[in-house]
Order: sequence, then structure tokens, then C-alpha cells
Amino acid sequence: MMAVRKDLSIEYLGVKCENPFFLSSSPVGGNYDMVAKCFEAGWGGVFFKTIGIFVADECSPRFDNNGKEGLPWIGFKNMEQISDKPTEQNFEYLARLKRDYPDKVVVSSIMGSDEDEWKKLAKLSEQAGVDLIEGNFSCPQMTSHAMGSDVGSSPELVKQYSEAVTSVTDIPFIAKMTPNITNMNLPARAAALGGAKGISAINTIKSITNIDFEHMTAMPVVDGKSSISGYSGAAVRPIALRFCALLAQDALLRDAEFSGIGGVETWRDALEFLLVGCRNIQVTTAVMQYGYRIVEDMISGLSHFMEERGYDDLDALIGQALPNIIPAEELNRDFRIIPNIDRDKCVGCGRCYISCCDGAHQAIDWEEDARRPAINDKCVGCHLCLNVCPVAGCITPGEIRFKEGRRHTDILLKRYYD
Amino acid sequence: MSKLATAEYASEAQAGFTHRTAMEEAARCLLCHDAPCSAGCPAGTDPGRFIRSIRFRNPKGAAETIRENNILGGSCARICPCDKLCEEACSRSGIDRPIEIGKLQRYAMEQENIFHLKTRRPPQEKKALRVACVGAGPASLACAAALAEAGYGVTIFEAEAKAGGMLTYGVPPMRLPQEVIDRDIDAVRGLGVEFVFNTRVGRDIGLGDLKAKGFAAVFIGAGLWRSKLPDTEGAELDGVLTAVDFLKNARSTGGRTELEGKSVVVIGGGDVAMDCAATAKLTGAQSVAIYYRRTLEEAPANADELRYVFSLGVPIVTNFAPARFVGDGGKLKSAEFKGRDGKSFASVTADVVVFAAGQAPEDMTRLAGDLRLTQEGLIDADGSGHTNLPFVFAAGDAVNGGKTAVEAVAEGKAVAVEMIARLENAPKDGANRDGKEVR
Repeated sequence: MMAVRKDLSIEYLGVKCENPFFLSSSPVGGNYDMVAKCFEAGWGGVFFKTIGIFVADECSPRFDNNGKEGLPWIGFKNMEQISDKPTEQNFEYLARLKRDYPDKVVVSSIMGSDEDEWKKLAKLSEQAGVDLIEGNFSCPQMTSHAMGSDVGSSPELVKQYSEAVTSVTDIPFIAKMTPNITNMNLPARAAALGGAKGISAINTIKSITNIDFEHMTAMPVVDGKSSISGYSGAAVRPIALRFCALLAQDALLRDAEFSGIGGVETWRDALEFLLVGCRNIQVTTAVMQYGYRIVEDMISGLSHFMEERGYDDLDALIGQALPNIIPAEELNRDFRIIPNIDRDKCVGCGRCYISCCDGAHQAIDWEEDARRPAINDKCVGCHLCLNVCPVAGCITPGEIRFKEGRRHTDILLKRYYD
Repeated sequence: MSKLATAEYASEAQAGFTHRTAMEEAARCLLCHDAPCSAGCPAGTDPGRFIRSIRFRNPKGAAETIRENNILGGSCARICPCDKLCEEACSRSGIDRPIEIGKLQRYAMEQENIFHLKTRRPPQEKKALRVACVGAGPASLACAAALAEAGYGVTIFEAEAKAGGMLTYGVPPMRLPQEVIDRDIDAVRGLGVEFVFNTRVGRDIGLGDLKAKGFAAVFIGAGLWRSKLPDTEGAELDGVLTAVDFLKNARSTGGRTELEGKSVVVIGGGDVAMDCAATAKLTGAQSVAIYYRRTLEEAPANADELRYVFSLGVPIVTNFAPARFVGDGGKLKSAEFKGRDGKSFASVTADVVVFAAGQAPEDMTRLAGDLRLTQEGLIDADGSGHTNLPFVFAAGDAVNGGKTAVEAVAEGKAVAVEMIARLENAPKDGANRDGKEVR
């Protein structure tokens, strides 16, 4: 056991969770044994793989990933649909899990193709004794347009099916959103109007990860062909954070609780979602790559952060970043921060020079003899150089210069970059 | 630019990782299912686990794993022969080269220091029984830490003025800075272990006295503090030194070896020989050469150590064994070596010869007349640390004949478990190793 352990428990929709780390509805939580193992590893709960009346018939292969500069799995593509197991068997798993792990949170994820199916699945969930029900309105790779993200991008259908579920059960209902839509707040509000208490975001993003030059199709290659399907993993985290922040800032959703999904691998990623207002965190792709064990460092790392910052209660962290994420028109634009280049730390690669010349404002001169960059008067304070510099702590925010005629105020600077 | 590295005696041979470079290295780790690196660490430091913590942005958790498993995690990170242990086992070698595990461990231990983490804490409940440890080297420190955590009152008796044993008085500071050792020792002290310095058990206090003072059990981790000096002709000359004395003197004088302008020959092929050569070179010797009686392949020194002395410009002459030392007026003038082939011969002028061809125990019968020893004069203890005397346990170099610090930690930890088991079920008048228990 690691030494520093904080109480990471938190209530989500009235259900006590030992920690906010849950598996999301996906291949990582598709049967009893998998979920039992994840519980033993320390996960607080599971959104079980989506159960429908429809039983999926899957293609092979069904996964692909893309990387950058030798690092694989920046993003991951998944063509798997909802559960390929019989409906009854899935509910039997859920009942047994809840019986054997009463302190863990078991959430059924369901997907119907019409109102009756939604109601039936909700009743079966209730009979299985689940803590919460999530409606999957968002799987982008269903073989039927009556299900998945086609439904989730229609606020009317989201509301109708949310009503169907909440009309037959009192178990809190969570609507899972698709990011394949311009304004997620519309279906989220519709879900809330339909009685949903929680919103999960985001499901996967429709994608083509790679084109195969051998068969002139996308990846993965299924008998020489492929399809567009859902993209997940670290690459989607920024998009997920944006959707979650916008949901959490929506006054019309003030009564909803949010569960954040998208590229969470570490405690830091999870913390980011908490800070934009999520009370619950869901993970799949990193588990597919690394296994259930990653929760150990989520628990330990978040505990250390709370210890370092003096937090004893996870609730105190929820939404802390929201007041500081503001519309672009409200930002203070009175100043620019000139970067400071530490010539001793500089190794002389010239990457800041190249990027500034070709991607910014030609504000760095290259001292050929010394092989060192020097910032000139054209600097606008964009900090492209800071972002491209490979040396930790070499380029940092420096002098603050106020624009002509603007008010001089105290400016908050970021000091620590990893 | 010179091919040779220039360095100072007290400056570290190798720079550590930054956050970024540590993450780059951790990203190379394959995060194996049944991490062979973890199985490869004698002390169970669990690199597979702590590298995973670094990879998942939890360096504090990494530090905790290390410190929990290995109370001397900071020192071991610097001096472990990783290329023969965890890194040799690394699966990544099947692709290109192993993960730099020792260096990642050092990074995590540096984070521990930066964030003032206190991973191991004294137990809430203390036991009435007290245990004495003889010697403040790695075996005793590891044993003492485990006993203290279990609630026993532990006192370490140390002959020297400082704790650390070979870490403090043997390994040179460019490999192992004193502050790293001190932090490890602070971790032991933080568990409530008491130290009594300048007190040699067997001279200033007897093993029997410890019992009389109320110690219920004794752990002997006395180490090997006598260098083997072969009966080579001229070994008595002024200028012929043993490695232990040479390193201890250098370390305790802060590098004032008075070797300026002198020619030094080091004899041996292990890490200690490399340490002697580096120390001689970095404290001002004009020329330093290592002579080793076997081949480089057979040399027990680890690869990093060899590379380091090469980088300092120290040559290693292999297949030459010392034949005779020649002096003038009692002072060493030259050393003569004969080749392994039976024909070659070398005569080298030398002001100083340092013998680093293995260590031996001091006279252990001084500890207790009835303590059973091996033919080599080592303490005769079994795998669980039992000696022939009731409630007297031993491990580390004084038992195994001289291995690594990490193995001494492993032994100290393991013997502590055995000691705790025995003390828990302690019959009033003790146990011995042969009979199950003496009642």
C-alpha cells in the first residue's frame, strides 16, 4: 500500500462512490470476470458494456491506432458496437456483480431502437439492482440508424427516449452524449427535460485514423474495406474537456451532474475533468492499452495532489476551473508577455527560431556565431517559441509590456511548465 | 574537445534525469505484465511498479514504492550494478537497449527529497522488546528499519563516527554523494532507530553486554573491513595500501589523499578497484593504471564503472598478476607483474599501490568467542540469518563474503522478518538455529 491515501469518495447522483474512477461502457467491462478484476484493482465503479435488445455482430479486425514520432496510441479507433452477448446474460452479470461487490457502483448502459426497447431495458436494469442507468445515445458505429449517435444528435429523440426510461424507473438516468454534433448542449438539455439527472460526455468521435496504401481503404482493413468509426484516447481529451466545460457552464443544466470521458490516462487527466465540473470520470482507451492497473496511480497521484494542496474533500475540487474559462471577448488583451530565453540552458537547436520565422512573427534573430536565439522588437508574446523549445525551463514568460494607452494592471503569470 | 572527462572528486559522475527526460525514458518502458526487472531486484524495490508510476505522472508514488521496498533506495539508485540485475532482465533489450532503471530510481528519489515526502513512519504501537544491530551499513540499516516499523526499539552500534558503512566510507562521492546516503539514513532514523557511534562491539562493548543491557536479540551486519593483502614480496613497503583504507581515508578527508604528482597502480577488477582508480585520479595522482590478473570479460566491475574509469583516462592492463613490490629504504619504488601466459613480465614505477582484490572480515571472534565462523572467518549464519548463538542473527557482507549493497538490504529485510517471527513467539530463554526452539 502506498503511503499517502486521501479519501477520494464522492457522491454521484446520490450514489456513494469510493472514488470517481469508473470504466466507461466499452470492451473493458463486458463480462463478470472483467468487472470483478477491475473492482479488485481499485476502480470505484463500472459503466457496463452497452446492453441492447439488438445483439451485435462484429467485424474483424476492429481496432486501429495512430501515433506521432514513434509514440503509438495518441488516438485509437474502435469499430465495436454494443454487447455481442445475449441480453439476459448481461443482466445476469450485472445482478451478480452488484451482489458480490455491494460497495462498488454498477451502472447499466442501455440502448434501445424504439421506446418499448428503452423501457424494457430500463426495467431489466432495475431488476438487476443496478445503481444507475446510462442511456447510450452516442455510439458512432452502430449498424442501425435507429440507434447510437444518429439518435444522440437529435434532441427530440434524446428527450423522447430519456422520458421512456425515466417513466418506468426511479433509478437516476444518465444520458451519454455524442461529440459528433456542433452544439452538445442542445441534446443535453433535451435529456434533462426528458428526466435525465446526469450527462456523460464524450462518446467517440467519428474518424478515419489512417489510410491503408495496400488496399486503398481506411484502417482497420476488413476484407479490403473499412468504415468510419469512433476515435478515442489521449488525442480527444482536449475536445472532451471543451464539451464538458460548456455543459457545466450551461445555466439550463445547473441541476445536472456530469461524468467526464475522453482520453483519461493519468490522475492529472482525471483532475482536469473534475476541475471543469465533472463528478465522475470514465476510462476505456487507456485500460485497453495498459490494463486496469492504471487506476493505482490515479488514486495515488490524486491523493498526493490533494495532500500537497491541502484538500481533504474531492468535492472542493469540482468545477474549480470553470469561472476562469471565459469567452474570448472577455480576455484581457492589454499586454504582451515577452518570453525570456535562458542562454545557459539553451542547447542551440534553433527550433524556436525556425518556428518563429515560419509560424509566427519573425521576432527571433539567430546569432550565427554563438548559435543562440535572441528575441527582437517584433515579438508579440505569442509563446510559440516556449511551446516548441525542447529544453525544460529554457524559455519562460518574461517581461510584461502593456500596449500603447492601455491600463496597467497586475497580471497573473503562469510560472511552472512541465 | 578532449576524449577524456574532467571531473572533481566530489562531483557526481553522471547527471540525473529531468521531468522530461525521465518521462521519455519511462515512455520507453514496455510496462511488462510480469515485470522481469522487478523479479531481478534482490531487495524487491519493484522497478516495474515505480516506472509505471513515473509513466503515469505520479513520481511521488514512484518514490513511495521505492522507499517502502528499499529503505536505502536513494543509495541503491546510484551504486546498484543494474546492468547485472534489473536492467539485465529488462524486456526492452529484445528491441534495443534496457530502460535506465537506476537512473529513473534516482529521479524518483530526487522527487522524494524535493517534496519532502516521508513514506515510512514509526508505528503507532511500540513493543517493549529492544533489538541491537551491530554496524550501520546497508544490512543493519535495512534490518533496523523493518524491526522499528514492527514496533521494536532498535539501537545501532557503529564503530565509526558516521552511519552508512561502506556507503559512507567505501564508495567514492562521485558515485554516491554523502547527502544521498544521509537522506537514506534519515529515513531509518525517522522510524525511531537510535544510533550509537564510535562504539565497536567486541571492543568497546561485548555481545554479552548487549544482552545484559536488555536487548532481546542482536543483528550483526558488521561488513568486511579488512582488505585481502596477498603475501606478495614487498607488501609491507610504505606506499602499499589496501582499498578499504585508501577509500576510507579519501572519503573521510574529503579527498585529501596527497597523491599529487604521484604514480598510482591499482590492483583488482571489481567495482572497488574502479572506485580506487577514480579516486586516485580525481584527487590529483599524476598517473593511474589498473592491473588485473584476468580478462576484462571476467572482471566483476559493472559496465558503467569501467566506462567511467576509461573516461578518466585510466588504463586497465589485463592478465597481469602482482609478482613483487620493490622498494628503496622501505618506500615503494616499483611494482612487478607476471603475465598469465607465464612468459610476459611488467615492471612499473609506482609511488603507491592500492590493493583492491577483495575484502575480508575483521576478527569476528572478538564479537563473541563462541560465535561460529566459517573457514574464511565469515560469520556462519543460515539463509534466515540464524547464527549458532540464540537470538543472534547475522547477514550482509560479513556472512556472504562481500556482495552488493542491494543484496545486503535484501538480506537485512529478510532476516528482520525472521527475527520478528522469533521474537513474537519468543520463549523466555531463546532459540537457536538447530533445535527448533530451546525452552
